[in-house]
Amino acid sequence: MSPQAFLRRVGFVLFLAVVTAFWALPMLWLVTAPFDAHPGLTVRWPEWTLDNFRRLSESPYAFSSLRNSVLLAGGAMILVTVFGALAAYALSRVHVPGRGAILYGMLLLSSIVTGTAAMVPIFQLMFTLGLIDDRTGVILVLTGGLLPAAIFVLKDFMDATPRSYEESARVFGASPTQVLRHVVLPIARPGLATIAVWALVNAWGDFLTAYILLRDPTKTPAGVVMYTFYSEGGQANLPLISAFSVLYALPVVVLYIFVSRRYGFRFHGGIKS
Amino acid sequence: MGEIRIEGLTKVYSGNVTALDRLDLTINDGEFFALLGPSGCGKTTLLRTIAGLEVATSGRIHIGERDVTKMSPGDRDVAMVFQDYALFPHMTVSDNIAYPLRIRKVDQASRAQTAARVGAGLGLNGLLERRPGELSGGQQQRVALARAMACEPSAFLFDEPLSNLDARLRLEARTFLKGLQHQLGVTTVFVTHDQAEALAMADRIAVMEAGRLRQLGTPAEIFHRPIDTFVANFIGSAPMTMLDADLVRGRLYVAGTTIEQEVAVRWSGPDPSDGPVVLGIRPEYVRVGAFGPMTVQATIRIVENLGATVLLTAETASGDRLQALVPDGTQPAVGAQVELSPVAERVLLYDEEGHLMTPATQAAPAPA
Repeated sequence: MSPQAFLRRVGFVLFLAVVTAFWALPMLWLVTAPFDAHPGLTVRWPEWTLDNFRRLSESPYAFSSLRNSVLLAGGAMILVTVFGALAAYALSRVHVPGRGAILYGMLLLSSIVTGTAAMVPIFQLMFTLGLIDDRTGVILVLTGGLLPAAIFVLKDFMDATPRSYEESARVFGASPTQVLRHVVLPIARPGLATIAVWALVNAWGDFLTAYILLRDPTKTPAGVVMYTFYSEGGQANLPLISAFSVLYALPVVVLYIFVSRRYGFRFHGGIKS
Repeated sequence: MGEIRIEGLTKVYSGNVTALDRLDLTINDGEFFALLGPSGCGKTTLLRTIAGLEVATSGRIHIGERDVTKMSPGDRDVAMVFQDYALFPHMTVSDNIAYPLRIRKVDQASRAQTAARVGAGLGLNGLLERRPGELSGGQQQRVALARAMACEPSAFLFDEPLSNLDARLRLEARTFLKGLQHQLGVTTVFVTHDQAEALAMADRIAVMEAGRLRQLGTPAEIFHRPIDTFVANFIGSAPMTMLDADLVRGRLYVAGTTIEQEVAVRWSGPDPSDGPVVLGIRPEYVRVGAFGPMTVQATIRIVENLGATVLLTAETASGDRLQALVPDGTQPAVGAQVELSPVAERVLLYDEEGHLMTPATQAAPAPA
């Protein structure tokens, strides 16, 4: 190896180390700080204790907020997956004039719909519908924001399924719902699993929608409760925040591992056509 | 039973594309029937309309005694094998074969039993628990056939059944399919663009072009007496040689030679009027050497070895090209001056519009 090549190699490894450290440090903080008697903003070997979790359990809304998050994110996940699959299937199979324009338009608008810019009209809409301080309202707004991208991705999966599969089932007498249940959905399963996880993670991490639309502290999700762990002077309560962060992150990680194991992001091989 | 009767069937796609144009056709019970034609001729549309995957614009379709024109595909009692076989990739072979029975709410145990029985009949034992992606092309085709057989329909519809197989397997599958159809005795319609496939497998062939039927007949009839120059060009491994000729008072002037028309074509009816005609000769029926009155002088230009036979392309002094198929080992060298003699009974005359003029008695398909 020439000296130049060696130096290049060393430089490359150093670069990788810096990038890795950049991403790994917050993770390390997340797994050490909650168990530290005096957590700070630095990563260090903790003085082991579970005291932070005991103090967290004294907080009135900490655990109920996790349940709320499950309800909101789970609801949004189910709605996004079900409606996304149906809409993508229809868009993939029925010739709607300007189909591409519709899809791209939806995708473009969706980045505004749940964005900060649209919050006032969304609040007004929910107020008119009487869905303020109602979990249904939050679920609907989250679903609306996630659906376009979900439809966009799922349509690709539906497009990849040859029509002959469905026609074959139809000739054997399958009804449209049977075609969907027996053929289309099982083949699109990796796509559905991806979208379900993606929708759940997005809704799970939501702060703004729930913060604005929910009043009752017993209904607020974890993302909003996290915001309450500050002193009145704006000082972060690190023992509580770190302990709560780990509890907040765990369900999503577990879900991801489960889905990846159970459904896999794989596709059964087809044949030339 | 399984007779398929089609009356005045028309299919117009949006944008005024006429795929089928007032088609009348009856496919007999138990017949192995080929729909043959170049791509875009409407043959696949016809098959899909019989299956119910396309809705007829007008006309009627009967299967057996039932008018199925307005029925949904599942109620027509037909089974279709698709070009890509359309096996469900997430189901095992056994579940694939038994899928029609699942739709009919047959219980799991008898479904597995039927799948095993039908699968065994097609040599699929041992593969029943595999997924389609793990099978070879030939095996996949047999799974698709087994699935069609499992629902015991009154007719099978095959869309290009052999086109996804490689060349060697295709010949095997051809023999296999013909044997299977004969054994089952179920009316079978298949679509193909390969004339050799249609000639080899079918009991009868419908040659289609631009949504209309050009010719309907047995493989022998279609091969020996193509009704017009379109069919003549389409049928045959080596295309029929077409020579421009002039018919003047009972004499044919062709390729620099004069032939008494009497010798080439005997007419049962009144003599045709004088004028330009087209002489059609299959390379299979041209011999090297001087035999009879239809001998033409020509120079060999191209020699193509096809294995047991050799295809010669020769040029006459008038510039006309004539092809001959001769047994291997008897072929002259390139550049050789030879005499070529078409078999007089096999020569066909077409008029200027390309319609067959030769009467039916002329070229009866007797063994040559």
